[in-house]
Amino acid sequence: MVKKTVLFFMLTLSLMSQDIYERKCVPCHKELPTSLDQMFMSYLSLYSGEKNVKAVLKYYLQYPSKSMTVMSDLFIDSYGIKNESNLSKKELNEAIDIYWEKFKVFDKLK
Amino acid sequence: MLVLKNKATNLVLKSEKKSLLRFLTLYVTMITIVIALSSLFYYETQEKLMLAEQRAILTKYAYIQTKRLKVLHHYFDERRTYPRDPRFTSAIYDIDLRKIFSLLEEVNIRFDEEIYIGTNHIHFVKSLDEYFLGAKYLILEIKNDGIWREEIWKSIIGYGLLAFLIFIVFGLYLAKLFLKPMRDSIILLDRFIKDTTHELNTPLSAILANIEMMDTDVMVEKNRKKLTRINIAAKTVSTLYKDLTYLTLEQEKENEDEDIALKPMIENRVEYFDILAKSKNITFILSLEHATIFMDRRKLSRIIDNIISNAIKYNKRGGKIEITLNENLLKIKDSGIGISEEKIPFMFDRYMRFNQSEGGFGIGLSIVKKIIDEYNMQIEVESKEGEGTTVVLRW
Repeated sequence: MVKKTVLFFMLTLSLMSQDIYERKCVPCHKELPTSLDQMFMSYLSLYSGEKNVKAVLKYYLQYPSKSMTVMSDLFIDSYGIKNESNLSKKELNEAIDIYWEKFKVFDKLK
Repeated sequence: MLVLKNKATNLVLKSEKKSLLRFLTLYVTMITIVIALSSLFYYETQEKLMLAEQRAILTKYAYIQTKRLKVLHHYFDERRTYPRDPRFTSAIYDIDLRKIFSLLEEVNIRFDEEIYIGTNHIHFVKSLDEYFLGAKYLILEIKNDGIWREEIWKSIIGYGLLAFLIFIVFGLYLAKLFLKPMRDSIILLDRFIKDTTHELNTPLSAILANIEMMDTDVMVEKNRKKLTRINIAAKTVSTLYKDLTYLTLEQEKENEDEDIALKPMIENRVEYFDILAKSKNITFILSLEHATIFMDRRKLSRIIDNIISNAIKYNKRGGKIEITLNENLLKIKDSGIGISEEKIPFMFDRYMRFNQSEGGFGIGLSIVKKIIDEYNMQIEVESKEGEGTTVVLRW
């Protein structure tokens, strides 16, 4: 009984230590063949700046559609369009900000 | 005839000088503007040509660099080294003009120009169609060696100077052409004066000699007055004759410089002109100190005679002439009609007469100026219309 309680407590703690991006985005994308950084680079090659990329991402997560996706037709045919996000606007912004900071190109080139 | 012509041709009047100067100033300004504008146009054309050549090269480099960026974009998780090229340096900026990475030496980029010359470099701004690494703009930078600019300047200075010289020669020819009628008139007048001067000598000498010989004591008052008038007229003509003789013959003679006591000489000349002055009720007020001058007596006489003669000629009836002499200064002040300030610089020009009501050729003061310049003397003229004129000589 004590063992189970400690395990539950540790699991809760570990979940609480993860940010919203890791909690809400990463788990679903783990199942997909295209990584999140590859998707980020696709957004970057199409929309260039931070403001554009974040705006497009937010719109797509709120209103996913085939016309707005950066993924190939083959990918969409295989995995379909994602479901609408159930995150609040604040959570969505936070998750996108984390995503941008994690994969942005700035200060990474040498 | 030839000597006379040369003499007249060498004569440059102040008004002629002024016309020439005005024309040349205007002409030089005009050709300078024309050459400057042409140079500017040439410079800009050459600069554009140079940039067009550089654009072709840099477009090729931009294509190569874009390919490298594409590779880096697709392998960004494995590679992080920005592609470099020894032929140029480059930078990438996103759509918000935020720097992604830069190797440029000059940081200020003009995104609204495709190619331009910076401080020491040429920048080529390539707008990308696909934003590899998020880059909307690829900037290429190459060193601006400035050789092209030196070449342009060399051409501009070389051809500019050549054009300037050609224009100046042409301008001088034009000026000469414009001034020719003026010079021809002067030559004609000089010839006329020279020819007539010879004819004046004999009758004038006869008149003056006979007047001197006449015994006025035995004359009736009426005749004495008439003789006085003849005397005045003869002396006026004599002064004019002396000026003309000086101008045509004597000025070529060698100077016989000597120390001259000015006081007795001025008194003598005042006495000579006294009869002329009295005819207009003009009074001489003399304040003469002892002074000497080392010069040719004939020339000194021409200076004094002409200034006193003018002071009488242009004086009012019942006016006065103040003559002040002290060491190194002779001042002759009249209470005459005066002349306006703007005409003073031209009063020493030959044939220049401001008052047509008085006789004369307008040569007296030009002779005065010539002699004064020859002896390095200074002359100052102050005049106020209606109040009189003051002539000051310093030596």
